[in-house]
Amino acid sequence: MLSNLFTIFLLFSACNCQAVELLYWSSSNTEEIKLAKILVNEWNELHPDIHVKVQPIPATGSSEEILLSAIMSKTTPDICSNILPAIMGKFIESKAVVCLDRFKDSEKVIVDRTGTKLTDKFRSNNGKLCQIPWKSNPVMLAYNTEIFKSLKLKPPKTYSEFINVAKSINSDEDGNGILDHWAMKVSIKTVWYQRLFDFYPFYVAATGGKTLLEGDKAIFNNDGAIAAMKFFADGFKNRYFPMLGFSRDTFVDGKTAMSMVGPWIIEYYKRLNPNLKFDFAPIPVPDNHKGPVYTYGDPKNMVIFSTTKHPDEAWKFIKFLISKKADLKLLELTSQIPTRAHIADDAYFKSFFKKNPLLKKAARQADFVVPMDDSPHLIQILDIISRQFEAAAIYRVISPEKSMKMAAENVQNIYDYW
Amino acid sequence: MCRIYMTIGKEKNENIGYAFISPYIIFLLAFTAYPLVFSFYLIFHRWDLLTSPAFVGLDNFIFLLHDTQFWQALLNTLVFLLIHIPLQIFFSIIIAMVLAEKIFARTFFRAAFFLPVIISGAVVTILWQKLYATDTGIFNHLLSLIGISPVGWLTSTKIAMPAIAIMATWKNMGFYIILFLGGLLSIPGHLYEVSRIEGASRWQDFWRITLPLLRPTMLLVVVLSTFGAFSLFIEPYVMTGGGPLDKTMSVVLYMYKHAFLFQHMGYAATIGFALAIVILMVVLVQKKYLGKETEY
Repeated sequence: MLSNLFTIFLLFSACNCQAVELLYWSSSNTEEIKLAKILVNEWNELHPDIHVKVQPIPATGSSEEILLSAIMSKTTPDICSNILPAIMGKFIESKAVVCLDRFKDSEKVIVDRTGTKLTDKFRSNNGKLCQIPWKSNPVMLAYNTEIFKSLKLKPPKTYSEFINVAKSINSDEDGNGILDHWAMKVSIKTVWYQRLFDFYPFYVAATGGKTLLEGDKAIFNNDGAIAAMKFFADGFKNRYFPMLGFSRDTFVDGKTAMSMVGPWIIEYYKRLNPNLKFDFAPIPVPDNHKGPVYTYGDPKNMVIFSTTKHPDEAWKFIKFLISKKADLKLLELTSQIPTRAHIADDAYFKSFFKKNPLLKKAARQADFVVPMDDSPHLIQILDIISRQFEAAAIYRVISPEKSMKMAAENVQNIYDYW
Repeated sequence: MCRIYMTIGKEKNENIGYAFISPYIIFLLAFTAYPLVFSFYLIFHRWDLLTSPAFVGLDNFIFLLHDTQFWQALLNTLVFLLIHIPLQIFFSIIIAMVLAEKIFARTFFRAAFFLPVIISGAVVTILWQKLYATDTGIFNHLLSLIGISPVGWLTSTKIAMPAIAIMATWKNMGFYIILFLGGLLSIPGHLYEVSRIEGASRWQDFWRITLPLLRPTMLLVVVLSTFGAFSLFIEPYVMTGGGPLDKTMSVVLYMYKHAFLFQHMGYAATIGFALAIVILMVVLVQKKYLGKETEY
């Protein structure tokens, strides 16, 4: 009897020793936690030898701050799926992540899914891929279809059209001298990431897909940037954007008719106001713009941290997370677009997009997106732009031309000094 | 022989003593001495948390001298200090004097005024952000009842910092009320009796007895308030992010930005040391003018 028990104990111990444990940090928003749990449960059922534990990224502020702290204290998980590609430079420099060339099939798997053009945008300076492109949220113009319909308006394509639309929308219903409805919601917060959802998409659209830097050089003091800054300055001056410190989302409340958002907002708006009817349109561009309208893709990628003891198993799990089946779940549960080339025309996703035309628009836009430059000074650069945005657009104490000149000089100073 | 035993006994007692104070010593070394020494080391280095620190000599100091944002942050902090400390002392003394009297529900009011002190700073800040909200805030609602247009409490460059100072005064006042209350209750009652016999008014009592004898408490309150004001962080961090146009950017918030957003740990340490020097100078000036002893 005792010997039998001893044998069972030995077998049990042996089984436990063979099971590989992986820790996976997902994003901490409700929809992505749900997605991560479903995918991990499915994986664990299929792979009893590689057990994955999912945990939302323990972020109180921005997840970038938490990841840096984790890298420093060597408490990073095996895998994380909430990586802003623009901060990868720092991670690679400090050897915090596993570059994918150690896995034989990595290049093929990623290029097959993402396409060569977009994959190349995520390569590090030495040409290596150290991140797995996962999803994007092309920033687009969301507009309230009921307001537009009632005023017989069409979504604006150019700055002039925007002004005409805005003039019709702005209204003071009770005649007390204070506006009750505004054209578009633009945040007046100066926090660095806010400009990724107003000035930067407009800049990208106005310049035909340019980013802010070329190597260590600031290249954004150009006509497109000045036009975009002028657009926001005029908008605030003419009160098309409310300057009030609202305590709620004005687009959800119907107080503003337009907002700049990514498709992830669909699920969020459903929760806040199920009756809200809206559609997506490309970001308005200067009147003389030609060619496709690009925008900021707001990509989030995956990495394997170098603290992992099981890189091969982690790579296997990641291949599962970027499979077509998992991508469909990503669309269904989070309304976010997998970084998969020409996904809107992929037969596998056809029936989904048929039922979700809003997401089909976002998926089409996903073919015309740019990420943010990979720079170790990214947060500081965006902070500089945000402060110039505040000065030139919100409070208009300097001209758009001067603001862009100063921002470019300050960014150059960062590279020269820091 | 007896002497040897006594020596051994003394050593044993000393060891037990050291064992008792060791948690504090360890805490002091780990969380005060080490960070202080390491910060001093960082002043002369550039360090981004991820790579090894690089020696830069006095570069951080030179950068600080030319950093207009730092000087703006210092000016903002001084503006906050100049609004917040007088407000705090004025209201704390008045309320403490009322609470020192035998008024109705005195214990309740003492507890009520102290309550904001023990509420988390972040919670208080979020609460006041709602009160200050331009569209739905209660302050603007009250103003609208008397026909005044909404005020951009946190969006106006002129009003944002005073608005934060008012909030900080409300939050911290309870603590200083208790200090003043202690000071008031320690003034001997016979001084007031004598002054009454001499025919002095209550106003004269206040100027000639109460205020001079509260001077040590006042110094304590001013010094503690100064430390508190110079460490202004959570209010602008949550409410304004340092805006509008950097008008609510405090030195500590600026230091935080460099340390934890930009990973400029060396420069952040330099800002910290510069701030420590400024605080020292301000406190020395305060001590010079308020530190005189009063005796009766």
